[in-house]
Amino acid sequence: MFSKLSRYLASALLLGAFLSTPAMAKNYVVEVHGIVCQFCSFGVAKKLKKLDFIDQAKYQDGVKVDIENQAVYFAVKEGAAVDQQALFDAIESGGYKPIKLHALADDGSREEVSP
Amino acid sequence: MKKVTLLIGLLITAVAQAHQPIMDMAPRWNGGYGVQTRVVNANDRTTTFVEGVYTFKPSVRMTLKVPFASGEVGDAIFAVPLKRYYNQGAFTSNFGFTPQVRMPTGGGNDWDLGASFSYSSESRRLYQLYDLYTLDDVVGFDANAGPVFADGNGSALFALWDVSAQKSDSGERILSGPVLMYYRKNVILRAEFKYPVHDKDSAWDGNYLSFGIGVVY
Repeated sequence: MFSKLSRYLASALLLGAFLSTPAMAKNYVVEVHGIVCQFCSFGVAKKLKKLDFIDQAKYQDGVKVDIENQAVYFAVKEGAAVDQQALFDAIESGGYKPIKLHALADDGSREEVSP
Repeated sequence: MKKVTLLIGLLITAVAQAHQPIMDMAPRWNGGYGVQTRVVNANDRTTTFVEGVYTFKPSVRMTLKVPFASGEVGDAIFAVPLKRYYNQGAFTSNFGFTPQVRMPTGGGNDWDLGASFSYSSESRRLYQLYDLYTLDDVVGFDANAGPVFADGNGSALFALWDVSAQKSDSGERILSGPVLMYYRKNVILRAEFKYPVHDKDSAWDGNYLSFGIGVVY
């Protein structure tokens, strides 16, 4: 009885963890307030490129700044996890205000990543 | 009437940049640095300015501007721009206070103190900068504003109109004219032409022409 219940519980926990964790995503986008000029935001890209989990083989050294939509795209190395605190700290030290992080699915859909 | 004209000019005017040690826009990141050189022709004299900036953090920078003319070094200006940034959606702005000192590197013994109060803002389509400044006997107000044309791929052109009003012991003047700025990634070019729309300054004669290039890291 307990064994069966434990298996159900474990399965439910695993499924929940899988559904709520976009850590397998390879591409992400951060909404960044105020980022309207690529010359001025050079520092954001410079700071992000230094983060360990950034895959510099994609975008422009791993980062793409979209001033039309106040967004910063970045790619993550295979198997690496995004350190959101380090990510937001890097953007703030680059002079801007990070708002939300989204994981990008292959079909282009976005899922917000909780802090 | 002349005082009214000058006052109106002071209120509505745009940039001179003589007081701006280096571009206002960047570097606005921790540990950022940059250099800029400008060649200015004014008063039948050509002066080359070499300017450097280091940003400790977005709110604190230090800058140094050194002029060269006829093979000689002029008086350098050291400044500490302090800025408070506001980022909201597709808009960024900042208020700045910049204490500065002009050093007698060109000879003489005078150390002159100054300060400026500025506001600038930028959206995807519009840039504007206003600056009230004083240095020694000079008081001035500068402004430039205009549209921004960004290609979304690392480049943009700023087509600004500039007005700069200045009053000093030698008189008063208001200059105005176009400013074009173009950046590509971390390199910026600037061309500026101004003509005197009001000139009661015994130390000023003719137009102002400037070309500059800067890079930030």
